[in-house]
Order: sequence, then structure tokens, then C-alpha cells
Amino acid sequence: MNQHDPIVGRYVYVTCQGKTYRTYYEETGEGIPMVCLHTAGTDGRQYRHQMCDPEITSNFRVIAFDMPWHGKSIPPADFYLMEDEYKLTTSFYGEFIVAFCRALDLKKPVIMGQSMGGNICLHLALKYEQEFSALIALEACDHSPGWWIYPLHHPHIHGGEAVATAVFGLMSPESPDEYRWETWWYYAQGGPGIFKGDLYFYSVDSDFRDQVHKISGRLPIYFLTGEYDFACTPEMTERTAEKVKGSETIIFSGGHFPTSEDPAKFKDVISPVLKKIVQNDPDRRGAGRALPGPVAASGAVSRPAARRVIEL
Amino acid sequence: MSRYGSRKGFDLEWIERWARCVNEDRILPVIGRFFNNRFVLGVDETEFLIEVRGGKIARISEGLTPNDLGFDFALRAPSTAWAKFSQQIPPPMFNDIWAMAHPLHKQLTIDGNQLPFWQNMRALTRMLSLMRQV
Repeated sequence: MNQHDPIVGRYVYVTCQGKTYRTYYEETGEGIPMVCLHTAGTDGRQYRHQMCDPEITSNFRVIAFDMPWHGKSIPPADFYLMEDEYKLTTSFYGEFIVAFCRALDLKKPVIMGQSMGGNICLHLALKYEQEFSALIALEACDHSPGWWIYPLHHPHIHGGEAVATAVFGLMSPESPDEYRWETWWYYAQGGPGIFKGDLYFYSVDSDFRDQVHKISGRLPIYFLTGEYDFACTPEMTERTAEKVKGSETIIFSGGHFPTSEDPAKFKDVISPVLKKIVQNDPDRRGAGRALPGPVAASGAVSRPAARRVIEL
Repeated sequence: MSRYGSRKGFDLEWIERWARCVNEDRILPVIGRFFNNRFVLGVDETEFLIEVRGGKIARISEGLTPNDLGFDFALRAPSTAWAKFSQQIPPPMFNDIWAMAHPLHKQLTIDGNQLPFWQNMRALTRMLSLMRQV
């Protein structure tokens, strides 16, 4: 008998800043729409484990799309005529996420993004808080410098191998080898200059240090950061979260790519957050399968109120 | 001993044991086929010149002389940083060469011509990770 994942993929046309993008997305599940944002230079495959988890998909309609230029979403037709290199900007990224959600007629979805997908959550909270019901910002902070550098797109350097190896150390050495190398592979498959161009957003155009205190707190924001993340350290997340009203922070013993580098550990960390989102949703409360509660806090370090720490 | 293992001393004998681990590795000759460079491994004030041919270490020496005619690039860090890096399970921020070199952390400097560093990063990363087997 053939074995299939429950994930299905489609293309939707999304118009943003004057251009229409044929955009690939995958989805599975029923319930609260949850749109997942991939990290720089990669694509929605990073969420494949969560999309195959019945405890998640019985409560959430999980959707992961590939940004233009990434995965199976092609660049704009005239990309070869561009007079500047590819650079992701905060305004395009934010507008595209909103346009994608509208293209799918999603009603107040949850956004879960990691790395640059986590950082953009701050912009979404500042500019589009009415559009969403909750934000899950994985490996996010208000300023993550040092990554918009020439070696990541240079004709004398193998982009795939260099880019993938440059991010390999962002993962925990205790994450399973199989999944760390699968994550490496996603990076090795990125288009030329796309990782670097995304990092223009990540390291240059997304300096929110003077803005995050303006977030109203009406939209719940959950920050989750792994202790091996050297691009966005737990301290960088904590410093950001202290300025963001209504946020919760979880520091865990993982790395920068929690959904793909160690899906089992990520499930332990994210389940209490998802449970809370379900409980806070008046329309869908109790509709799906029960999500696991918080992991037994053996060895947990106590932190100030509203800051939860899980040692796994 | 901490969760991350014990510290080690770094002398030429230790470098030799590491180089022998590198040369026994069966993956490096494949991913390092075109890795032909001479780089310096700096530990505190001591400089070890590492000569790589085809992903294997052909020669190691302690200290630089005029006859070396320089090197391609140098990775320099305090012995405390290398000790953390070479633990079986390195602690956060010390588990990777680029993590240590990243402008946010500055535990390691990359001097010289950085082009061959980036060109051979995959093989170099594996080569250095074998310090955890010494």
C-alpha cells in the first residue's frame, strides 16, 4: 500500500506592490488557519513535520507558502532585467504576507514564522494587528545584525554549500543529524543570492529597536528561541520581549530552525502555546483533538513573571 | 566535568592527533577534493601552520618562519574558546567556527584571504569538527 503525507500543494496568484506572483503553498488540517513563514533562502518544507501531526492539524489549518523567489514560487517574469540585486524589504514582506492571507480568504489567521519570519512578526504587530489572531515568533528579535555579507553571494564561492554551512552551526549539536542535514539541504537548494537578499531584511531593513515599544499588546505574541541560536540569542529575544506588551517568551534547548532541526522537541515546546491559542479562540475552542499540555518542568529555571522556560 | 565535557591542552602533539583523525576520515577526501590551502590555527599566542592537500592534512608545524612565505588564512582564538569548541557537545556560541567568528560574538578572528575560507567552508567545518574526536 502506498504511503502519503496528508500535505497537498497548490499555486495561488498574489499581487503585491504592482506585480503578481505565482505562489506555491502547501496545506493540511482543519480549524484555526495558521500561516507558517519559512526562514531566509529556504521554503515551506521546513514545516513538513508539523503539517503531518494530527494533534496539530485537527486544531489548525496549517498553511506554509514559499515566498517569491523561493522553493516552487518563481521570481517575477522580468527578474533578469533588474538593475539591483535581490533584496527583501520590510514593506514588501509585510504586504505580501497580508496579500497571501487575503488571497486565501483567511479569517484572522495565526502567523508562525521563524528567523526572518519571526522578525517580521514585529512589523505585522505594528502595522497589521487587526489582520491576525496571534503571532508565534520563533528565533525572533528586534535587530539581528551581521548577516548581509558578500561571501553569501559571490561568483567564486559555491553559494549552496557556503550558505548551508554558514547556517549549520545555528542548530543544536544535540538535534538529530538526519534533520540537521535535511535543513542544510534546504539551504543548499536556494536560488543564487536569495539567502543574502533575504538577509537584507533580516540584518539591515528590520531594525525595530525603536519601534517595538509601540506594539499595542492587543495581539498575543509568543517568542520562542533556542539556546544555540547565535544569530538571535536568547538574550536578544528576551531584550526584545521586555519591550513588547502582551508577549510571552520561551527559551528552550534547541537551535535556530526548531521546526525542521528537531521536530519532536519543537512539538513539546510549541504545544502549550497552540493549546492556549485554541482556548482563546471562541469559535473553535474544544473542536479538535487535545493538544499536549506543558512539559513536566523538571529542572526548569525560574524566570520573571510571564516568562516561561523549558529545559528539555 | 561540565555537561559539555572536559577541557584539553593544545600543543603540537594534540594537533598531530587531530590531523591523524582528519586523514582517517573517509568523507573529507570527497567534500574536500579541491581544498588545497595553508591555514594558520592560532591558539593563544601559538600559531600552527596547517597545510591541506585534497582535503587531507599534509603537514603541520608550530610557529611561522620566513620560509613559509605566509599562509592563506588564519583562524585565531584563545585556548579557552578552542577548548569549548572541541568538546563533545560544545556549548552555545562555541559549537561552530562561524558562530565564534560572527560579529556578534567575536570569539575567533579570521585573518588573511577570506575567499578560500568561504570556498572550502564545508570541508573546513568538518575538518575542525573532528577535533571532537581527539
